[in-house]
Amino acid sequence: MNVQSLSADLSDGQSSVRRIDVRGLSKTFQLAGTAIEAVRDVSFGVRRGEFVALLGPSGSGKSTVLNMIATLIKPTSGQILIDGVPVVAGKATPNVGYIFQRDTLFPWRTVADNIGYGLELAGIPEAERKERIAACVAQAGLQGFEHAFPSALSGGMRQRAALMRTLVVEPQILLMDEPFGALDTHTKIDMHEVLLRIWEREQQTVLFVTHDLGEALTLADRIILFSARPGRIKDMFEVDFARPRDAVKVRETPRYAELFQHIWHSLGEEFVKGRNP
Amino acid sequence: MRTRRIGNTLAWQIFICAAVLAIWQWGYDLHAVVPWLVPDLLDPYFVSKPSQIFEHFLILSCLKSKAGVFNGWFNGDFAKCMVRNENNLWIATAITLKNTFFGFVTGVSSGFVAGLILGRSDRLSAIFQPFITAVNSIPRIALAPIIVLAFGIGDTSKIVTSWIVVVFLVFFNTFEGARSIDEGFINAARLLGASEWQITRTVVIPSTMAWVFASLSPAISFALIGVIVGEFIGAERGIGRLIIESEARAEASGMMVAVIVLMLVGVALSAVIWRLQAHLLRWQQHNMVE
Repeated sequence: MNVQSLSADLSDGQSSVRRIDVRGLSKTFQLAGTAIEAVRDVSFGVRRGEFVALLGPSGSGKSTVLNMIATLIKPTSGQILIDGVPVVAGKATPNVGYIFQRDTLFPWRTVADNIGYGLELAGIPEAERKERIAACVAQAGLQGFEHAFPSALSGGMRQRAALMRTLVVEPQILLMDEPFGALDTHTKIDMHEVLLRIWEREQQTVLFVTHDLGEALTLADRIILFSARPGRIKDMFEVDFARPRDAVKVRETPRYAELFQHIWHSLGEEFVKGRNP
Repeated sequence: MRTRRIGNTLAWQIFICAAVLAIWQWGYDLHAVVPWLVPDLLDPYFVSKPSQIFEHFLILSCLKSKAGVFNGWFNGDFAKCMVRNENNLWIATAITLKNTFFGFVTGVSSGFVAGLILGRSDRLSAIFQPFITAVNSIPRIALAPIIVLAFGIGDTSKIVTSWIVVVFLVFFNTFEGARSIDEGFINAARLLGASEWQITRTVVIPSTMAWVFASLSPAISFALIGVIVGEFIGAERGIGRLIIESEARAEASGMMVAVIVLMLVGVALSAVIWRLQAHLLRWQQHNMVE
């Protein structure tokens, strides 16, 4: 077995090339008078162009970490740097795109108008907007649905449109919070294909939260495993499948089975702990 | 199959209309014969009858002279009548409509803005909440005499009465709508770089719209009620004034003309609102499709 655990590598001295740098991050929520410690002292870095999955059972604080990086939640303590600049809670960081767990397409806007929303905010002229929207619509395979309202779309189509609404402004960093969690297995793998092709071309830095080990292995260069609450980093794994990857075929390789088994036990322990804290 | 059912429904509706009109017109004639069958309320002294109402309509609208002769359009009789009778049906309707419109527009816009501001600010809504509850407990119509006293018998007092019944309705709906906005939409907009104002314009207002529109249909009816009550209390012109005048003369047919005109006005205004609503909220129509 040449599976390598990277726990020792947590504080590598490479912060200069880190796009996302998380240092000593903790979060305690106050819920009806009780303090709930969601995240405890989490530190990690993501390199430029790297695809990192945050894996863990639900309630392991991985989404909280992502939302703190996205400025949606204010950390109790610790620091987050993006390209060396500390993020400020409540203030969107330029160049960072966020994909929600459930699609948050605006139901009152058509698919095309949803995709073009970020361009509208930026004051891009209409002609250019139309061109970029059309490119995104084609990329997501949504031709013919440009003028449909989101309520007329299937779950997979909605999530593709939501992905394009984020990607149309060409963010270099993507934060994704279990974006395909609500989709059936088949649609999910289709989405993996879509995402892999985009990522191979654009080489964004991606932080992807999931509780699905198969998904993490299919997509990521590196998996950061979270423990049950309070969320801490339990382990890290390098995923060394060749790129470009095929979302279906990668699952059929012996190396996939090997890594899956190795991480599965570690993840399984945390699922059990999460259930009986 | 479907067209047949629609045709059938229409046939029933026509039949019911005809039956009601027939009983109204000739029902009381049976009172002398079978008094136990025909209620006293059908007495034309109280409810008039369709033929009389139509006749009165022609007179009030200057189409016919009081002597029962049709006014010529071209010999100037119609124009003279219009001038002589300064609260003729045309003017009365126009005045009532105008005041309803202004009451509605001012009520909706101020209610909307107030609802939006308080709905999006926890602090302001906490401060104003008891006052709003208190004022909301007053039956607004009870304020009409005070309003007429303060603003006089002109159009202003009607607009204010109309405004005061509309504003709360729209305010509460907008408030609820602004409170129940999905935070996910706001976060999505913010992370795509929207400023506070852009969030208000592109997320808060559109998602509150469904709530606001739900209040517009009753609001237009309320606006009309406000104006009519204002005209009852004191006015020189308007349909409410027409009703009061006819009542003073114990003319049931005159009142009925006014009531029927109000009904038609109400239906027309509601239809406009429905059209507008169907267009602006068309994104909701597919909600059942999955």
